[in-house]
Amino acid sequence: MQVSQEKRRNYRPLVSSKTLQKTMGRYYALTNYHRYWGKLMRRPLAWVTSGAPVELLRAFNIHSAYPEQYAAIYSARNATVNLCEVAEAAGYSQDLCSYARSNIGGVLRPDLAPLGGMPKPDLLVACNNICGTVLKWYEVLARHFDVPLLVLDTPFLTGELTTQAKEYVLEQLNAMVTDLEKITHRRLDEKKLAQQMSLSREITSLWIETRQYCRASPSPLNAPDLFINMAPIVVLRGSHEGINFYRKLRDEVKERVDLAQGAIENERIRLVWDNIAIWPQLFSFYKMFSEKGACFVTDTYSGGWAVEQAPGTPLESLAATYTEVFLNRSPKYRANQLINLIKEFKADGFVMHSNRSCKPYSLVQEVIRKEVIHETGVPGLMIEADMADPRAYAEEPVRNRVQAFLETFDDL
Amino acid sequence: MFENNHLKDPRQSLELLLEEATLMGAKRLIRYPNRKFFGYFCSYFPEELILAAGLEPLRLLPDSENPTPVELPAYCCSLARGTLDMEVREKWSDLVGIGFTHTCDTMQCLSGIWAACGNSKTVDIVPPVMLNAPGASSYYHAELGSLLNELTALTKHEIQNEALRAALVLCANTRKLVTELDALRFNLPSPLIFSLLRAGQLMPRPEYALALENCLPLLKDMAKETHNKANVLVSSAVLENNSLFEMIEELGGRVVADDTCTGYRHYSGVTVSGSENLLLDIVQRYTNMPPCPCKNRSLNERISYLTALAKQRHAQGAIIIVRKYCEPHAWDAVTLSESFRRCGIRTLTLELEGANVGGQERTRLQAFLESLLEGPGL
Ligand code: SF4
Ligand code: SF4
Repeated sequence: MQVSQEKRRNYRPLVSSKTLQKTMGRYYALTNYHRYWGKLMRRPLAWVTSGAPVELLRAFNIHSAYPEQYAAIYSARNATVNLCEVAEAAGYSQDLCSYARSNIGGVLRPDLAPLGGMPKPDLLVACNNICGTVLKWYEVLARHFDVPLLVLDTPFLTGELTTQAKEYVLEQLNAMVTDLEKITHRRLDEKKLAQQMSLSREITSLWIETRQYCRASPSPLNAPDLFINMAPIVVLRGSHEGINFYRKLRDEVKERVDLAQGAIENERIRLVWDNIAIWPQLFSFYKMFSEKGACFVTDTYSGGWAVEQAPGTPLESLAATYTEVFLNRSPKYRANQLINLIKEFKADGFVMHSNRSCKPYSLVQEVIRKEVIHETGVPGLMIEADMADPRAYAEEPVRNRVQAFLETFDDL
Repeated sequence: MFENNHLKDPRQSLELLLEEATLMGAKRLIRYPNRKFFGYFCSYFPEELILAAGLEPLRLLPDSENPTPVELPAYCCSLARGTLDMEVREKWSDLVGIGFTHTCDTMQCLSGIWAACGNSKTVDIVPPVMLNAPGASSYYHAELGSLLNELTALTKHEIQNEALRAALVLCANTRKLVTELDALRFNLPSPLIFSLLRAGQLMPRPEYALALENCLPLLKDMAKETHNKANVLVSSAVLENNSLFEMIEELGGRVVADDTCTGYRHYSGVTVSGSENLLLDIVQRYTNMPPCPCKNRSLNERISYLTALAKQRHAQGAIIIVRKYCEPHAWDAVTLSESFRRCGIRTLTLELEGANVGGQERTRLQAFLESLLEGPGL
């Protein structure tokens, strides 16, 4: 049964996925039962955006939960439409980010949300390095829960990081330390922060190393593997459990390379993926590619967490690292990033998910696409969908476009 | 060519302003052949610096409702799509440059897209989003310094302190005149005021200030009549024409408070002066102006400010306009309408593709305004 399903999927499952499930299962159980242990252990619960400087929060013993992560789960479990409809009935436009809408839907109707929704936060931490949406979204949450909202304003970088931007972020981080000291009734333990930074470096380097193995042909991982396995680097960055998991994953991926085992059978076409995963279609969408021998060997989305820390003191490093994230940078920067990935991973083409929900990721994609095609000579396909809301996914047109795109590689 | 002495006659001044508001800068080269225009987006782009660089600030507004430039997906606001489409059609080719302010995600993207595919030179300023954050004002100050350098590089002329001071004075004077105009809105037709405010973002500023000053006495005379209309507050992003205001007026409403990007919000707030370093005055002014949804001065400041404004102006209702795909305004619309309702101010939220209102909006506006005229608030 197992074998025939794998065949049908043309997909090689990872042995480490058991560890992944265990690691994530423990994290969700811990998070969902926070109300029983949080006060006792003096560990407040923060809801944080995916680009928040979580090392600092961990140094304060704050437990973090990620609405974006939960929203992806809601979507994979087909709950997004119901939850979005709750938010839409409350007045939130259907054109707003579907992570935000489904999260708000889950706040208003936890009974409709998988995992019983998210546990109530003691504080909110938002960093606008990924988008402006998070600020508006977290303002809504701050009013609803009436808890402190800490915002780290990381100026958008039209070119390189300027001294003024770095100083501004650093000053805010210093103020955030003071705020966190007040909230937690603890002083910042510099040693603990340094230790968190080092753990974070370690987990990041494992993720980077794992991804680098995908330069091999055939690639040991395909995009859905990357998307599924990125969960711990987001929510358990700087934790020992996370590090242990990535060691296992790294070893398995390395072994696949040694044995020349590809993630998919008969890898024929190597592609790069741009934008957030299409969660509701995680297997069916990527299967259209894998059954034609097309493997997504790397991507910009889960690669967002494969970035080394900037140098400097812990706070300086946080200031630069979190301001320089790729979503906070110009189309020029992003085009170069994609061009380098295509070269480094010897890709034959790339696919962009024009994601209605995520404007900063998507609005610039067409100019990036042109630039990348111009520079690399490889074809690039644009697919319109949504990362979480299946109502924005038109199966037939997508299938036709994918087929036509894959046919262009028939001579390979 | 446009003659300055037209401005002496109050009626001609008024006509000129109304014409400019309709033209949206389209005849700038014929009317002002000796001027150099600099296009900009958003009320957070400091006009003072454009003026000090010897250029005329021109707010870029779209000339069509549903353009589809290939560089932008359909799920993007029509302000971005429309203006980019005009770039493709070379409507902005005379501009010395185009200034972008980082406000929403769409503007942020538009700036990069424009730089990649347009022919105009682009200039960016990234003001703080959290205007009261620690370090925000020194950061803002440094950003203004960088902008000054970029404008200097663009015009190849050093921007003198005197020019900057003169620009500050001109802007302060304009804002003062506009505030006098805003005080007349109870007794003047709403589209008229809206046009006059829009003109001040589309024509050379010295001429605007002069014309407005000249026609203010006439407007004050016109404003003697009282009315029996439903008082409303309007909150919106950019509205490039009077369509909505005309319909409100026609259906028995009057806009007594205008929180739109192209309306009074553009000018509102206190103008600061007296700093040794003039850029600091500019920082103060843009930091303290009533914020748009893209900026945060504190969690509820915008909501409380608008609710207080509605009460102070005796607005019976509030009309919140959300441009299709505009995230910041769509977010605030929910909290804003809750806050208005709690104060007994009825609220209507309308989603518009562009600035034009049609049959569907008419029905909803009519019902809304009638309910205001008929009965007390909720
Ligand atoms: S999906 Fe995009 S818009 Fe939504 S929270 Fe993430 S970065 Fe922001
Ligand atoms: S604030 Fe709204 S209307 Fe203005 S550019 Fe941004 S998305 Fe468009």
